Amino acid sequence: MNLKDMFKKTSGRSHYISLRNSRPEVPTGLLRKCNKCGAAIIAEDVKKGYYICPKCHGYFRVHAYRRIEMIADEGSFEEWNKEMDFVNPLDFKGYEEKIRQLKERTNLNEAVVTGKVLINGNPAVVGVCDGRFMMSSMGWIVGEKIARAVERATEEKLPVIIFTCSGGARMQEGIVSLMQMAKTSAALKKHSDAGQLHVSVLTDPTTGGVTASFAMLGDIILAEPKALVGFAGPRVIEQTIGQKLPKGFQRSEFLLDHGFVDRIVEREELKDVLSQILEMHHPADAAAVKAALKKGEKDSDRDAERQENPEAVASEISDDIAKEQSEAVHNGQAENALSAWERVQISRKKDRPVGTDYIDALFTDFMEFHGDRYFKDDHAIVGGIAYFHGIPVTVIAQAKGKTTKENLDRNFSMPSPDGYRKALRLMKQAEKFGRPVICFVDTPGAFCGLEAEERGQGEAIARNLFELSGLKVPVLSVVIGEGGSGGALAMAVADEVWMLENAIYSVLSPEGFASILWKDSKRASEAAEVMKLTAGDLKRLGIIEQVIAEPDEFSDATMGTVCEELDGRIAAFLQEYTGYSEEELTKNRYDRFRRM
Amino acid sequence: MIGKVLIANRGEIAVRIIRACREMGIETVAVYSEADRDALHTQLADEAVCIGPAPSSESYLNMQNIISATVISGADAIHPGFGFLSENSRFAELCEQCNITFIGPKSQVIQSLGNKSEARNTMINAGVPVIPGSKDPIYDAEEGAKIADEIGYPVIVKAALGGGGKGMRVAQTPEEFVNSFNTAQKEAQMAFGDNTMYIEHFVQHPRHIEFQILADEHGNVIHLGERDCSIQRNHQKMIEESPSIALTPELREKMGEAAVKAAKAAHYTNAGTIEFLLEKNNNFYFMEMNTRIQVEHPVTEWVTGIDLIKEQIRIADGRPLSYKQEDVHITGHAIECRINAENPAKNFRPSPGTITDMYLPGGKGVRIDAAIYSGYTVPPYYDSMLAKLIVHAKNRNEAIRKMRSALGEVIIEGIDTNVDYQYEILNHPDFISGNIDIEFIENLG
Repeated sequence: MNLKDMFKKTSGRSHYISLRNSRPEVPTGLLRKCNKCGAAIIAEDVKKGYYICPKCHGYFRVHAYRRIEMIADEGSFEEWNKEMDFVNPLDFKGYEEKIRQLKERTNLNEAVVTGKVLINGNPAVVGVCDGRFMMSSMGWIVGEKIARAVERATEEKLPVIIFTCSGGARMQEGIVSLMQMAKTSAALKKHSDAGQLHVSVLTDPTTGGVTASFAMLGDIILAEPKALVGFAGPRVIEQTIGQKLPKGFQRSEFLLDHGFVDRIVEREELKDVLSQILEMHHPADAAAVKAALKKGEKDSDRDAERQENPEAVASEISDDIAKEQSEAVHNGQAENALSAWERVQISRKKDRPVGTDYIDALFTDFMEFHGDRYFKDDHAIVGGIAYFHGIPVTVIAQAKGKTTKENLDRNFSMPSPDGYRKALRLMKQAEKFGRPVICFVDTPGAFCGLEAEERGQGEAIARNLFELSGLKVPVLSVVIGEGGSGGALAMAVADEVWMLENAIYSVLSPEGFASILWKDSKRASEAAEVMKLTAGDLKRLGIIEQVIAEPDEFSDATMGTVCEELDGRIAAFLQEYTGYSEEELTKNRYDRFRRM
Repeated sequence: MIGKVLIANRGEIAVRIIRACREMGIETVAVYSEADRDALHTQLADEAVCIGPAPSSESYLNMQNIISATVISGADAIHPGFGFLSENSRFAELCEQCNITFIGPKSQVIQSLGNKSEARNTMINAGVPVIPGSKDPIYDAEEGAKIADEIGYPVIVKAALGGGGKGMRVAQTPEEFVNSFNTAQKEAQMAFGDNTMYIEHFVQHPRHIEFQILADEHGNVIHLGERDCSIQRNHQKMIEESPSIALTPELREKMGEAAVKAAKAAHYTNAGTIEFLLEKNNNFYFMEMNTRIQVEHPVTEWVTGIDLIKEQIRIADGRPLSYKQEDVHITGHAIECRINAENPAKNFRPSPGTITDMYLPGGKGVRIDAAIYSGYTVPPYYDSMLAKLIVHAKNRNEAIRKMRSALGEVIIEGIDTNVDYQYEILNHPDFISGNIDIEFIENLG
C-alpha cells in the first residue's frame, strides 16, 4: 500500500490559542558552517572541541591566545614584548593604515605572540603565529619578537616551542622582511649551541620564509594533521611547472613521508605530547641517573619470589642452562652444540622477536621520531626517545616485520640511505642532549637497489661510521638477529657490541660469501662454518663483548628471560659508561676499533 | 508560541504526538531520515522535512539539522518524544537559546537529574528514600561489617571499578559478610587491579514501580498513580500495567507523595516519571527520574482519563495543570504489551523487513498505538518496537483476558514478532496471580 498523500491534513491555520508570544530565532554565532565539509555545526562544540569539526574532523585555524590556552597550564602564560612600535622600513604607502585596522579587528599587536608558559608544570618559551594578522607574514616585528624570545630562552636555559603558521615574508617590508629569516635562524643557532631544545609545531598553513627558517629548525618537528607546509605555495608551483600536483602534496603526511616531520600530533593530545617531550629533555642529574640504574640491578626481590612462585624458579633454571650452553659454545666444548649454519637459520626465523619487541619490552614511554630531514622516512629503521629505568635514552632499531605486509613496509629491515641518515640524526640529537644511544641490529644487509645507490648508500654508511666514532655519549649495540655487513656496522660503531646467542654478524651473507669465493651460493652452509659469524666465534675474536643466552624456542612468548638479562646488563653498561668523560668515551671507542 | 510543533522522533510515538496536536488544532512537522520516507509519521504530519541519512547519529540525533528544520518550517515548538534527543540537556539548551519551546523540562533540570550522584543527593536532601549505601570507599572487611550493620542486611558488596557481575557478592547475614567481602575484593583485585569496594543494601526480588508526574510552571505537581513495569528483559520493559497489584491505597499514597516530593525537589516541570524499586516488605527506593514521556504512558492515560501528550503541550505553553490531585481517580485496570520486530527463539534478534499482511484487533477497551501498515518495510536502523497493544477493563483479571483475546487476533506477516511470547506470559500462572518481580523473564529461562 502506498500512503502518499492519502491522509487528510490539518486544514488551514492552527486554531490553538497559545499563551506564549515568541518566535524561534537562532542567535547569530550559535551555528556555523564547516568550511571543509559544509555541515552545520554548533559553534560552542567547536570551541570546546579544540576547534575541530565534530563532523569531518577537519582542523580549523586557531587564534594565538586560544592556542596558548590549549597547551598552557591555566594562568601560567606570561606574555613578552606585547607592545611593539610600528615600523615601516620601506615607507610603504598605506601599510600603517592597514596595520592599524588589523590591530583593531584582531585585538593583536602583531602576527606573533611570544612569552613563557608552563605545560603540565614544565616551563617553556613559546611563540605562536596568528594567521588573522596579514596571514602571519614575517616582518620586522615578527622576526624581532621571535629573536628576542629565543635569546631570552637561551639566557634562562629554557626550551622553545614555536607554533608556525605563515604566508611567508611580508611584502610591505621588502628586503628587511627577508633578513628576518636569517635573524631568527641565527638566534636559534645560538640557542641550540647552548644545548637547548627547540620544538617546532607546524600548523596550517606554513609556507615561504617561515618554512625556510625557524619552522624547519626544530630538534623535533611536530605537525598538525593535514596542515599545508611548503616553501613555494602549491598554486605557484602548478603555474610554474604547468602540471597538476598530486593529492596530498605539501600536507603534513607528505612531509612525514619525506622525512621532514618527526610526528603528526592530533590537537587533543598535543599538550601531553609536548609535556612528555619537555620532561624527557630535563637536564639529567648525574646522581639521579646512578640511583635509577642501581635500582635496576637489584635482584633482592627474587628470593622471596622463588618461595611463592615456583614457575619463576623453573624459568630461571632454564635460563641457567641456556647460559651454560652458551658458555660451552664459546669454549667449543659442547658435544651437541649447534652448527654455524643452524644458527644462521635460527637468526632468520620468522617468529624470532624483532627490534620493536625489544623497544616495547625494555623501555617505557617510547616516542618514535621519523625522517632523515633530507628525503624520506625509512621504515626499516625505527628510532626515538624513551625511558630506561626512568633515564631518557635514544633507541634505534633495525626493524623486521612480523607479517608479510609489515615486512614489505619495513623493506625486510634492509635500510636505505635515508634510514641511516635518520639514525645518524637521532644519534646527533642524543649527543646534543647527553642521552645514551642504544641500537638493536637486525638486518640482512643495507638495501641493494637503484634508488639506494642514487641517494648514496655508501656515503650514508660511511658517514655513520665516521660520526659514530666520535659521538660524545655512550653507545651500545646489540645484534639481535642478522648482523649483515656494512648495513649492520653502520649502527654498531659502539662502546660495546653484544650479541644474542644465535645472532650472527658477518661481512656478507653465507650465500653471498659462497657465491663470491666458490661461485656457488648453494654451499652457504659450508661457508657459514668457515666465516666465523656466530656469537661465540666473534667473542673469541674480540669483535664483541658479551653474549646473551637464548631459551630453546626463542619467540615473543619466551623472550622474557632474555629481556630480563638484557635489562640488568644494560643498566650495568649505562652505570659504567655514563661515568666516563666525553674524552674517555671517544678515546675508548677509538681504541676499541684500533685494536681490530 | 505554540502554533506548529515539530516532532523530533519517529515511529509510533511520533504518530501519537501528531494525533494529539491535530486534536488540539496545532499544525505538525515531521522530521525523517532517508530510511523513513515512507514511514507513517512522515506521511501523517502536515509537513515533513528530511534531516539526514539513515543512521540516527546523522538524522534523529543531529541537533543542528533538527534546529534548522524547525526554523525553516516555521515551527515554534519541538516535542522530542522518547529516546533520541528527549533527555539530552544540550539539545534542550539549544532550543532555549533559539527561543524554541522544548516540550519537556528545562535543560538545567535534565542535566541535574541525568547526573546519578547529583540526583541521589537531591533525593536524600528531599527525604525521598534511596538505596542505603556506603558514602566512602571501603578497603577492609572489618570496617565494611560495621557499615553493613548500619545499612541493614542483606547487603551487596560492589567493586568501585566493577562491571559484568565481577567483584560483586551478596551477604544475607552478618555471618556471611566477611567471607563475601573478601571474595568480592579478591575478585576485584584480580579483574580490575583495584580493591576499592562499596557496600549497599541489596534489594531482593524487587518490583519496578514508577509514578507518573505532571508539573506545571506555576509550582503545581501531581502524580497520576503508578505503573508496574516488572516484566522486563535486559532492562527493556515488555509489559506494563496500572495500577499495580502490589500497592495498597496507603502505600500508593505514600509513594505518590514521595514522587511529588522528588519532582518538587528537582524543580521539575512537564511530564516525568519517578522510578522506584519496591521490596516485598513494602520498602521502596528511588532509582531515577525519567525526564520525558514514557513508552508506557497509555496505561496511565486509560486509568486516569488524562491525555498526557496534550497536558505536556499545555504545560510547555505555560498553562496551569488542568487537574488537581483530588481530581485524579484510578478507574479499572490497564495493561500494555509492546510488540517488537524480533525473534524470541533466536535470542530476540531484531527482525527488520517488509510487512506483507497484517490485521490488528479493536473493540471496546482495546487501543493500538502503532506506526505500521500493510506493505511497510521496517528499517534495520532503529528500535524494533512496532506497536503497543493496550487494553482496559474493570479489573486485572478481566484486563488479562482481554489482552489474551487481543493478542490472539494480532496478525503481522513477513517479519518475526514477539506476539506469541507475550501471549505465553499472559498465560503464565505467576503473571496471572500477580506474583512478579524484575527477574520474572530471567527466571523463565
